[in-house]
Amino acid sequence: MRNLINFLIKYNYWLVFLGLELICFVLMFRFNRYQGSVFFTSVNELAASVYETTSSVSSYFNLRSENEKLMDRNIQLQAELAGLKTIVAELGKDTVSLLPSQYQTFKARVINNSINKDDNYITLDKGAEDGIAPDMGVIGAGGVVGIVYLVSENRSLVVSVLNSKASISCKVRGSNYFGNLKWTGGDSKVATLFDMPNHAEVAEGDTIVTSGFSSVFPEGLPVGTVKSVANNNDGLSYIVKVDLSTDFGNISDVRVFRNNMGEEQTNLEETVKGK
Amino acid sequence: MVQTVLFRLLWMVVLVLVQALVLNNVNILGYITPYLYIYIILKADVNESRNSVMLWAFLCGILVDIFSDSPGINAASSVFLAFVRPNVLSLFVSRDALEQGVPSIKTIGIGAFTKYVSVSALLHHSFLVAVSYFSLTSVGEMILRVVLSSVLTVVFILLIDNIRK
Repeated sequence: MRNLINFLIKYNYWLVFLGLELICFVLMFRFNRYQGSVFFTSVNELAASVYETTSSVSSYFNLRSENEKLMDRNIQLQAELAGLKTIVAELGKDTVSLLPSQYQTFKARVINNSINKDDNYITLDKGAEDGIAPDMGVIGAGGVVGIVYLVSENRSLVVSVLNSKASISCKVRGSNYFGNLKWTGGDSKVATLFDMPNHAEVAEGDTIVTSGFSSVFPEGLPVGTVKSVANNNDGLSYIVKVDLSTDFGNISDVRVFRNNMGEEQTNLEETVKGK
Repeated sequence: MVQTVLFRLLWMVVLVLVQALVLNNVNILGYITPYLYIYIILKADVNESRNSVMLWAFLCGILVDIFSDSPGINAASSVFLAFVRPNVLSLFVSRDALEQGVPSIKTIGIGAFTKYVSVSALLHHSFLVAVSYFSLTSVGEMILRVVLSSVLTVVFILLIDNIRK
């Protein structure tokens, strides 16, 4: 006992040290939010890890009922989605309808299509009764699709871009150099732009849009991007290969353009040719 | 005796004010903050009891804490420094060589004094940084902070001690 007391007396500064540090740490945890939070969270961490283990085990027990709930919810949402889709389909407001009033658009659905023949045609589910007439432009989500060729009462036949009869006046976006887009067979993703003057500035990756010179399409509708540029044999023009932006293998909804002044323009141009 | 206490109190007030008003706002590169107030602990008489120095250190640390809004952190570090100080000092100075009592450049020589101050500063700053981070997630940053701050603290203390002599 005496030894112990002697020991304590001899090393009393240890007690003072520990006492003072204890006071400091109490102050620290009491008044410093950070240290306090670290202290208490590390104490809580043990408890938390126990809870986590139990809950990860117990969560398996009610998987079946959770699954059923999810399935119910899924079905409910699908029904809702179908309802909304029909409503959306009836609402025709899209960017196409924001074009100048000179143009009028009609919605149509593709009911027949081909891409692997020499002359490809697309059949639409709208015809003369719906206001569609020959020589109207047709565009899809990706860009230009073709030109209406023949109409019956409720159906119309469209000359696809992938058709030797089709020739669409196009230009490079940002300049006014133009040429005629034709499809020469083969790859359904690539068409050729002829008669582009060889002083025009065309580079790979440039966007090709409709020129608006023909009465069929308004100016600036996307057609594709330049894939390659080569000199033509005539020494005056380029042959520009164009990657078509429309995926002709996958078109369903299209818009048909009616140019309200197209007839006027065509008649005017015809009188000159007649003379 | 009374004179010593008054003198030390005066020093403490000055150092705490300098620490609180100037040095705590020094934050070079976001890491470096010198803790000059440990000077008061380092300059305690060798013959003074550990308990007395620890109490002084506690008082000084609490005052700094009050000004820097960090109750306990500086107090804990300076009590720790006061606790280990005699051992640090005995590493570099033999008891016989130090008769005047107060370690300084004049009494123990510039080399021993620099070592003494550097080791003390490193210990104090390590304790302080460890307690204020209170986790080991950013050890690299902590070491950087300890070393750079210690360098600055040592430079300041050497300058002051040089002027006082």
